[in-house]
Amino acid sequence: MEFARGQEPRGKEQPPQPAQDFRIIGRPTPRIDGRLIVTGRAKYTHDLFFKDMLYAKILRSPYASAEIVSLDLSQAQALPGVKAVLKLKEGRVKYEGEQVAAVAAIDEETAEEALRLIKVEYKTLPHAVTIEAAMAAGAPQVHDGPNTTKLNEYTRGNIDQGFSEAEVTIERTYKTAVEIHQPTETHASIAQWDDDRLTVWDSTQAIFSTRDGLARALGVPASKIRVIKMYMGGGFGSKLGANEHTAVAARLARETGRPVKVTLSRKDNSLCVGNRPSTRITIKGGAKKDGTLVALRLTNYTSGGVGRGDESSEPLIDVYKCPNVKVEEFSVSTNTGASRPTRAPGHVQGTFALEGFMEELAAELGLDPLELRRKNYSSRNEGEAGIPYSSKGLAQCYDLGASRIGWAGRNKKPGEGQGTKRRGLGVASQIWWGMGAPGTLADVKVQRDGSVEAVCGTQDIGGGTRTFMAAICAETLGLEPQDITVKIGDTAYPWAPSSGGSQTAPSVGPAIRDAALKAAERLKAAAAKKLGIPPADIVLSGKKLFDKNKPENALSFGDAANELRREAVFHGERGPLPEGFAYNTFGAHFAEVEVDTETGQIKVLKVVAVHEIGRVLNRLTAESQVVGGITQGLSAALFEERVIDENTGKMVNPNLQAYKVATAQDMPEIVPLFVDLVDPRINILGNKGLGEPPRIPISAAIANAVYNAVGVHLREIPMTPDRVLRALRAKEAGS
Amino acid sequence: MKNFQWAEPKSIEQVLALLAKSEKRIALMAGGTDLLTEIKEGVVEPDIVVDLQSIKGLSYVRKEKDGVHIGALTTVAALAEDGIVRADYPGLREAAESLASPQLRNVGTVGGNLCQRPRCWYYRDLQSVCRKKGGSECFAEGGKNKYHAILGGGICHIVYPSDLAPMLIALEAEIAVSSPRGEKKMPLADFYALPSKNVRRENVLGPDEMVHAVRIPLAKKGEKSAYVKLKERATWDFALASAAVKGNVSGKSVNGLRIVLGGVAPIPWRLEKAEQVLQGKKLNSAVIKEASRAALGEAEPLDENGYKIQLTEAAVSRALLSLI
Repeated sequence: MEFARGQEPRGKEQPPQPAQDFRIIGRPTPRIDGRLIVTGRAKYTHDLFFKDMLYAKILRSPYASAEIVSLDLSQAQALPGVKAVLKLKEGRVKYEGEQVAAVAAIDEETAEEALRLIKVEYKTLPHAVTIEAAMAAGAPQVHDGPNTTKLNEYTRGNIDQGFSEAEVTIERTYKTAVEIHQPTETHASIAQWDDDRLTVWDSTQAIFSTRDGLARALGVPASKIRVIKMYMGGGFGSKLGANEHTAVAARLARETGRPVKVTLSRKDNSLCVGNRPSTRITIKGGAKKDGTLVALRLTNYTSGGVGRGDESSEPLIDVYKCPNVKVEEFSVSTNTGASRPTRAPGHVQGTFALEGFMEELAAELGLDPLELRRKNYSSRNEGEAGIPYSSKGLAQCYDLGASRIGWAGRNKKPGEGQGTKRRGLGVASQIWWGMGAPGTLADVKVQRDGSVEAVCGTQDIGGGTRTFMAAICAETLGLEPQDITVKIGDTAYPWAPSSGGSQTAPSVGPAIRDAALKAAERLKAAAAKKLGIPPADIVLSGKKLFDKNKPENALSFGDAANELRREAVFHGERGPLPEGFAYNTFGAHFAEVEVDTETGQIKVLKVVAVHEIGRVLNRLTAESQVVGGITQGLSAALFEERVIDENTGKMVNPNLQAYKVATAQDMPEIVPLFVDLVDPRINILGNKGLGEPPRIPISAAIANAVYNAVGVHLREIPMTPDRVLRALRAKEAGS
Repeated sequence: MKNFQWAEPKSIEQVLALLAKSEKRIALMAGGTDLLTEIKEGVVEPDIVVDLQSIKGLSYVRKEKDGVHIGALTTVAALAEDGIVRADYPGLREAAESLASPQLRNVGTVGGNLCQRPRCWYYRDLQSVCRKKGGSECFAEGGKNKYHAILGGGICHIVYPSDLAPMLIALEAEIAVSSPRGEKKMPLADFYALPSKNVRRENVLGPDEMVHAVRIPLAKKGEKSAYVKLKERATWDFALASAAVKGNVSGKSVNGLRIVLGGVAPIPWRLEKAEQVLQGKKLNSAVIKEASRAALGEAEPLDENGYKIQLTEAAVSRALLSLI
């Protein structure tokens, strides 16, 4: 449906399609492996032990910047029980936690003892561990070349002209701290060689890219490497791609001829397998008095340590209809561990800034913050040359959420409440991708006894992949989810993309559906032949294939399968994305908070989270995904921060006591809602991804609710009591 | 972690014999919730770890004529659930329930809680050789110090992390220590010592001594107590600031008032000036605020922990107002 720009009727830009009346898909299906997981029988990489297995430990740099003057492995090599020792670094180390040497020994204690026997002489060098230090004049260079480099720029319209048309202009700076992924299961790998073939069991979100990365690192053809991942205790982006320690395990295994296991400590996990880059985002924006945005300018300084910062401008470029936009982003190198994608990289930080800005602009204009957002609603993807969205249900998210949180009851003027406990409501919008990867493959195998396998080289990172695969397959074949044997997590299976970028369900779901539809067709043909009726008259339902005109004329599913005379394999593929449309997911979070103005403590009371992700595959795991995203985002908003001592260059909180993650008691009431809308063209199921969306708007929604409660915008997360009290004091001093 | 020997003595005498004879470094372990993290970080490297759980009869809460006796190996969870504690010392129950997490309270003990080591992130880092570890500097000065001391710091800015200690001191508890010279008792307040006395330690327990019990005087009629702990997370968090208060309430005024702070000084910090000002006075938030502000005038915050002064005022005020 096409509308002239600016003419879109609110909430009707893509009329929801009536959902097909599916029996299982879209309804709440309990995890088919839930019992296995909660009873401790599911095998995680940490749980695996092989005969003659050796344990690897890695010596890491204790300094942020130093020259390795000498490295003596001889004493470690001489220790009984040590089977191999590797030098991993020469010259300069650039961050605390960088690999220096590794050992493989008969048990963990011996390996640790061996690490203590490795003698390293370091000459410490000046370091820069904060953005400020790295940008200062005369700062030590982290890499060869300047510390600050251009990361991204974008322009549309004419920014100067935009500001000249503005009736109200404000400029604000927002900061987000470095977050650590903190998966429950730390990174772990086991490597085993069999002649020239390598098998790796890895706690990974990406078996195929781990395979390919190892192939490059080891100089071994990818065809000789098999990567297996059965169950995993969280990754959040820190387990995307091959790890240095996995290659180390493979080298040690090759040298010793024995399986080698490496397991990272919580401290290693904090230092050297990734983090979410910090950002310092300045937004200058201009609007007409009625709220129409005319100019948005974003400048971002972001640090991903020795890696890259996060491009964080996409939400500002896309969410609102603003004709004049200019973006400049800079990555600042520091002597800290490299960043890695962290659940919605860039969008989390960019949304915190953009949505905080919208809240402050609304206050400046005297407008309802939700009305300001509706006023600037965009039905086209402005960042992608203005192509239309294939589907967009953000307006419905606003309507549903506002009604459920009781938006009308918010403080009309931020901070207008009285007393030491102040309540407030806040909202934030979300955009993300989640379109899935064309070319994803999956097989459905029907055995002669009627048993069915759903097979795909994807991996479950906790979202319930096995369950939606079983649900789709069962739905299509007239079976129940528990009838399907799901096989995933092995590069021996058909290719699927990494489980990152919210792409697992919209990649694997349609591929399985495609394979199952082919299986259904063949089974119907076989049954039709046996029953002597046309295939079009066959109904596949209730574990039977029967004549729609004469239901007693039937074959059991097993008998029909037997008619195929062999194991029948049906190949499914996720089809291409039709061009000319933008495929995005949308959502809006509404938060209610209570702020204690004497202690600076923030309690989040309630969150209404509304998402538009096309068709929901499994309502139960979809709701879990939303609860998980909110948990993580609330935690980042209120508690989480990597703290580094500028003098020593060392992280002071590389553990779960001092790096604070939200607990069950910090959780609010959470109401997850979905706009049930089937995308008409994204794939044959009409579903989009959900892994990242619920992580994106929550921190901003909480900060905006705090603003509504106390009338001062924190502009920096985490909003710990010291920061809240400082901001309240500054406000008092100002007024 | 370095390998160590494991000892399972069956009596206090056997523990004392071990402590007296051995030339080796000995660590006494009760619940282990603190010691094991120190061992894993390599901050302490004992040759022998002595498991005190193997001694029977050190877990009890008993009401006797001279007060309520609490065995050193009583778990924090058992303390919080005890009927006598609940009836007579509500502040102690609040303190016990405020600390750590249910799992940790199930294994952590009263004796262990009173003898735990500081949580300063420099002390806990093997490579930061600070004064407490025999070095010559305090890394918190000019470093990351939002959780550090605002009172009594001087050469070392740790805060004493116990929640039970301030409350027990407010309740005028006495600690019982066994040594080869017999048993000695002292006010719990005297058990703790500032860094200026011995920067390597937080208390005066000798190398051949062991804590075996705590005694609290019987609660007088009209005596009330309360513990308010302010932290970042709702649970499983040490205090940013806490206030333990006890007093005899009549109407809106309180006599025999004791105010002891946690989380703001290297030892549980008695706010004597405020106690004196507020003794017997009609309490309201303005009066309390004035008294605690005056008493906290001696605070010397570092770069990042000035907010703790305001938090301390709030904790004191809320604890006192809850008494009346």
